[in-house]
Formats: sequence, C-alpha cells, structure tokens
Amino acid sequence: MSDKVGLVFAALADPTRRRVVETLLHDGVTSVPSLTSVLPISRQAVAKHLAALDHAGLLERAPASGREVRYQLRGDALAPATVWLQNAETAWERRLARLKGAVERGA
Amino acid sequence: MTIRREIEIEASPEEVWEALVTQEGREQWLEEPDRDVHIEVVEFPHRLVWWWGSDEEAATRVEFEVVGVPTGARVIVTESAPGFPLARLRARFAGVLA
Repeated sequence: MSDKVGLVFAALADPTRRRVVETLLHDGVTSVPSLTSVLPISRQAVAKHLAALDHAGLLERAPASGREVRYQLRGDALAPATVWLQNAETAWERRLARLKGAVERGA
Repeated sequence: MTIRREIEIEASPEEVWEALVTQEGREQWLEEPDRDVHIEVVEFPHRLVWWWGSDEEAATRVEFEVVGVPTGARVIVTESAPGFPLARLRARFAGVLA
C-alpha cells in the first residue's frame, strides 16, 4: 500500500475523524466552530482532526463565509484508495500465476 | 476494503500449502523481498493468514483458502486493509459530490 493511501487509512481509522467526514458528507462544508458545536471535543481537538484529514488529502478549503475558514471534501479524495484496489488485484493475479507455475513444476 | 482473486492449480492442497507457508516455498513465486510477512493463522492445509507491509507501506492482511477440487486445488486469496469503510464512503461520495 502506498504512502498516500496509508495516510487516508490512518486518517479514517479514527472514529472522530470518520464523524467529521460523515458531517461533511451530510452538510457539504464545515468549519472549526460548527464542528465544535456538534462534537463533544474541544476546538483545539477539532482543528487537529481537520489537519489530519487535510494532510491525508481528503479536504480542501471551501469558499469563505465572512471571516470563517470553511472546509469541504475533495472530490478525488478516495482516488488513492481506488488505485490501491486496482494495483492489489493486478499484483495478486500475477502472484497467483507464479504460484501455480512454481507448484505445478514441483508437483 | 478487500480484494479477492482465485486460481486453480493442478496439485494437491498439501503441495500448494508448502508453497504458501514456508519461506523457501514463497521465494519461488512471491517476489516481494521488501515486505515482511508475519503469519497470524495456520490451519493446515486449508487456511493461512498473514499480515505484511514494509517501511514505506502500511500493513495489510492476506488470507488464503486452499480447497481441494477434482483437478487439484483452488486457491482463493483476499487482501484487506482493515478499518477502511471504502464502499460506504464511496457510495456517499458519489451521491454528494457527483
């Protein structure tokens, strides 16, 4: 699994961050203040989780509303995971073909 | 998220098993020298589970099922990255972001 998809996995392994993503899926955009009002965690913790999602390439800045910084999900956020799936399938097709060759030669 | 692939091999499940469970066996076909294999479940000769990864790559779980068939053995492999609800997220992404 590549670095990129590893970051996505790590980001979504955390239940609070999955809730943030769920909120974004529902609301489209969010911000530190609006997440702080719905999640039972501090403003600092919300900012930290948003930073982790951003680092994983899942977020982008949404058009600002007044002075509030707002975030939305990137449309291609899951692309690394999709690439992983395709690569893993191809890799196992090749490995299984080699396994078959090796075992049948030895049998 | 999980992928699944299978193949039929003209050899007994026990012969296939040797190629999966031993280091010497795997060297004949796996060709992944950078990945460390940590075997988790060994149920001779039908089910083997390992975790693997490398310095650059997060760990994934690989499970083999080896089933006897009239012509030899069928090997079914699944590789999964735990804790990643991709299908659910993808379905919802598609609805919101399409």
